[in-house]
Amino acid sequence: MKQLLLSLAATLLLLLPAGCGDSGPGTGTGPTTAPATGPSAGEPAGDEAEAEFRFVSANEHNFLDPQKISWLHDIRVVDCLFETLVKTSLPSQQIEPGVAEKWEISEDQLTYTFHLRPDARWSNGDPVTANDFLFAWRRALMPDFAADYSQLFFRLKGGEDFFKWRAGTLKEDASGGAAAAVPWKEIAAKFDELVGASAPDPKTLVVRLAEPVPYFLELCAFAPYGPNHAASIEPLLAPDPKSGMYRIDPGYWGDPKKLVCNGPYVIQRRRFRQDLLMAQNPRYWDKASVKNHSILELIIDNPQTALIAYQNGQAHWLPDIPTSSSIAADLVQQGRKDVLASPWAGTYFYNFNCRPTLPDGRKNPLADARVRRALSMTIDRKALVTQVTRLNQPIARTFIPPGCLPGYEPPVEAGAAFDPEGARKLLAEAGYPGGAWLTGLTILYNTGLGHENLAQPIKNSWEKNLGVVVVLEAQEGKTFSERLKKHSFTIARATWTGDYRDATTFLDKFRSDNGNNDAAWSNAEFDGLLDQAAGETDAAKRLATLRKAEELMLKEQPIAPLYQLVTLHVYDPNKIEGIDPNPWNFRRLDHVRVKR
Amino acid sequence: MTRLIFWRLLQLPVILAVIFVVTFTLAWIIPGNPLEKPDGQRPDAEISAAILRQYNLDNPWRFAGEYLKGVFTRGDFGPSLRYLDQRVSDIIGQALPVSAAIGTLALAIGLMLGLAAGILGALWPRSPLDLGSLAVAMVGVSLPTFVTGSILLALAAGLFGWAPIGGWTWPGWSVGSQLWWSRAGIMMSHLILPALTLGLAPAAYIARLIRLGLADVMSSDFIRTARAKGLSERQSLFRHALKVAFLPVLSFLGPAAAVTLTGSFVVEQVFAVPGLGEHFVNAVRNKDQFLILGVVLVYSTILIVFNLVVDVAYAWIDPRIEMG
Repeated sequence: MKQLLLSLAATLLLLLPAGCGDSGPGTGTGPTTAPATGPSAGEPAGDEAEAEFRFVSANEHNFLDPQKISWLHDIRVVDCLFETLVKTSLPSQQIEPGVAEKWEISEDQLTYTFHLRPDARWSNGDPVTANDFLFAWRRALMPDFAADYSQLFFRLKGGEDFFKWRAGTLKEDASGGAAAAVPWKEIAAKFDELVGASAPDPKTLVVRLAEPVPYFLELCAFAPYGPNHAASIEPLLAPDPKSGMYRIDPGYWGDPKKLVCNGPYVIQRRRFRQDLLMAQNPRYWDKASVKNHSILELIIDNPQTALIAYQNGQAHWLPDIPTSSSIAADLVQQGRKDVLASPWAGTYFYNFNCRPTLPDGRKNPLADARVRRALSMTIDRKALVTQVTRLNQPIARTFIPPGCLPGYEPPVEAGAAFDPEGARKLLAEAGYPGGAWLTGLTILYNTGLGHENLAQPIKNSWEKNLGVVVVLEAQEGKTFSERLKKHSFTIARATWTGDYRDATTFLDKFRSDNGNNDAAWSNAEFDGLLDQAAGETDAAKRLATLRKAEELMLKEQPIAPLYQLVTLHVYDPNKIEGIDPNPWNFRRLDHVRVKR
Repeated sequence: MTRLIFWRLLQLPVILAVIFVVTFTLAWIIPGNPLEKPDGQRPDAEISAAILRQYNLDNPWRFAGEYLKGVFTRGDFGPSLRYLDQRVSDIIGQALPVSAAIGTLALAIGLMLGLAAGILGALWPRSPLDLGSLAVAMVGVSLPTFVTGSILLALAAGLFGWAPIGGWTWPGWSVGSQLWWSRAGIMMSHLILPALTLGLAPAAYIARLIRLGLADVMSSDFIRTARAKGLSERQSLFRHALKVAFLPVLSFLGPAAAVTLTGSFVVEQVFAVPGLGEHFVNAVRNKDQFLILGVVLVYSTILIVFNLVVDVAYAWIDPRIEMG
């Protein structure tokens, strides 16, 4: 009963901000009428005053192990704690030196030689060495640590071989137990043998790639490519007696007493589900450029409460207001100067199941590209972003959002535009005049995040304009994911965000054999174009090939892109500078300055 | 009495074992992989398998075996699958005291307000005071906590610029150079609004129970006897009637205490309190099997213990009630 009441209350709570924004008890003090500028009663007392720059995260951290992380709010903090070989400067989004002061790239673009700066030090005074990177990358490639981004390390020559080798030994270990556990030294030796990464001396790191990776420096700036303080972690490694997998006490990563960092900050205090206080790392080589002495991350789930904290001056920056909440739409609609909906390198779209038969064995009408295109042409995207989401997101006709990738102009004209008349013709051509016999269409979405608000008008438009019958199907998040993975749907909502600045972070998803190809679209020509681009060293030719691939995909419409995602920021540009919102969510919190 | 306590405590492990089996089964059959995100890039199948294997999530029997072994040999309730660097015992260990502190204060507020309103109503039945307190009680029972909580927070933040959000502190913690009483004050400032929010509903319910109970008891024979021997209305109420009218409140207090002390999802959300209530909802939503088992076992234990306490208190207040 209690669970029932709680979930009921939770549902109501999600609806609450709408009520408070427009009318009702919250209005007098809520975000709608309060002035956007800071606290009325000066600086807050207590703990918050300790930190110079304060922001609110909506979620407690999943993990702060740089090799395991994949959530944005984890990366945001890990970027403060660990410095990578190179970094992304803001707002220019250019690669600049990090731990590596300089690097050389071989002519065939397969070998990268990084020279680490002599003054790069860990927070305990030890020098940062090339081995610290090799140690971290080895961990990232070991199934033991089950890193979400292991695949990003398959770009290293032999990376995948090493992963497979280790997965194989683990299968043997599982039967043999601890006695059979492979010694750490042996794993390290195998890594050195298989993987194209070596340290000829402590300050030089040589990386060999399997094939040219034009965005390899981008990867090197990405948190999972960061270093580990090998000297303090190695003694913590122990094989699990049952599985033979190596593990580290997970408490290491959040413990200010244990964690050794090389970034601009160290953890000073961490209080679970409350806050995380970071103070400047006194041994950081580039202390002079750090623009604030401490950062406090407050963990507040409820956006309404987060807004009150912001209004009261407890926080300077709210980066996590969920765009699905009505509070976000209200903030944007008010046109406040301290609210910014910043375009993100990601797309909201509908997957069309492209398999010839549906899970229940019936013939799949969506296997015909004309049907998919007709459906996509009957979505009034402009109305969705102005009337439903009310965030005025840029509408999407392509999968890769325009303006996110330097030098890449997505083939907008290949996408579907709103044209019900054309759609009807196309549908008739495909053998479904007036929508007759086109049955069994279901829009699958996960509950609780506003997806039903989008599904409803799309269903209406399809029924009204095409004469087809569409059913809405809501599923709880985990079930939804499972169904997507098993291709057990006809139409399903989805989002996709890019991980690194290259078109392949989007297009690889549609490779026939890709595990993320939920639409199950398979096209040999598309795969061939991607292969061709992978072997291409000429940047312009490569981009042109990738553009051709996207064009081909869009013509076939395995998905209907709806709009480009946005991130919502609440901060007062007159009070802080250096947030520099950008499509890739690059953050340089060390360069945030709080104005006095 | 001792026998009652002994038998009940003996039942505790049996009930907990049944609860464990049911919860374990339910948690296991919830579909989905707890370690996967709903959106975006999915790791390779091999990596997914490795992730599951790490936590014995690929085999229910091994999971149950290892879990029970951990609990009984090391007192370890396993890792959280959502907060991967936290142990379930640490999560509950940190959250339960917070919820208990708020809950205790909420119960105290509930009891005091409820008793006061109920007694006032009974003393002057049908007076504006009575009708007023009943009306307030109705509102208190009907209003969900997210409404009362949001109103209180909005009022405090809007009128006084005071929003006790985040920065939860215990008086014992060394925070800067503050004196302990100033720290206690800070703690109280974090406690009071959530406790008030949480205490209003029980207050309203108790007020109604007491008011109706007293109305009933005040017309019974033994009160007529009390009046006959010369006790004033007030004396007979406080000395005799209240004790009897309090019995239903007592049976309400058992489960109410268990619910209140283990925190409220909504109140914790509104006031950003790091309590236990959130986990009752989010652990299930995240399919965080270790945390689900942990919070359910803790909650069940508390509920059983409080019911026992209520039964003992019953016997103590009303000796006519037999236990066995």
